Amino acid sequence: MVRLVFLGKFSEVAPASLAQIALPGDVRTLKDLKDWVARQQPLLGAAMEATRTRLIVNQCVIHDLSQAIADGDEVAFLPPMSGG
Amino acid sequence: MDVRIVQKAFDPQAEIAAFTAGRDDVGALVSFVGTCRAANAGSVVDELRIDHYPGFSEKEILRLAEDVSRRFNCPDLLVVHRVGAIRPGEAIVLVAALSTHRSDAFEVVRMLMDYLKTDAPLWKKESGPGGARWIEPRAEDYARRMEAEKG
Repeated sequence: MVRLVFLGKFSEVAPASLAQIALPGDVRTLKDLKDWVARQQPLLGAAMEATRTRLIVNQCVIHDLSQAIADGDEVAFLPPMSGG
Repeated sequence: MDVRIVQKAFDPQAEIAAFTAGRDDVGALVSFVGTCRAANAGSVVDELRIDHYPGFSEKEILRLAEDVSRRFNCPDLLVVHRVGAIRPGEAIVLVAALSTHRSDAFEVVRMLMDYLKTDAPLWKKESGPGGARWIEPRAEDYARRMEAEKG
């Protein structure tokens, strides 16, 4: 199983059913996962397409979407951030 | 260094008093407090909600604070950032820097605030009678961040 975390505006269009998923057989990399999420939830896909989306795996910043994902990973989808 | 994310309203003056108590080794304290406004861009604001990613947000804000404090003479730095539902008039963020002289303390606070605007893993949603909207960094926030990086 892989845990998915959607933050900020993504959290409003992500269904609870995506919080924990069995990794589909054809999803091997982060890019595969992002594309798969967009296919499952077109609204979420459109929201991610419309803005800069960063992926965080097991709480570490990822710079390469070709990175493989593994069972037990936690993947977070982050829209643009703003503190202060 | 004290970097915290808090869920409830905090008193910036009490935080600053505790932070500076007994510090006779420094000559300068600069602090900045950002508060929730009752109106933004012409719209009434009833509430600001800030979401965070527990664990990651704390770690990233600490990393930004350490990065900035290393660039200057800054023996101690305090960052308190509120999350959750915030009412107009309440404090959102407090950044306070101690230094031997004023220039380093001013620079640390200015640069860290510029970093927090674009790089802190926090998400703001403003709501009022006109509806709700997510707040994202403005072009000038990104420009300030780039300037800070160069400096």
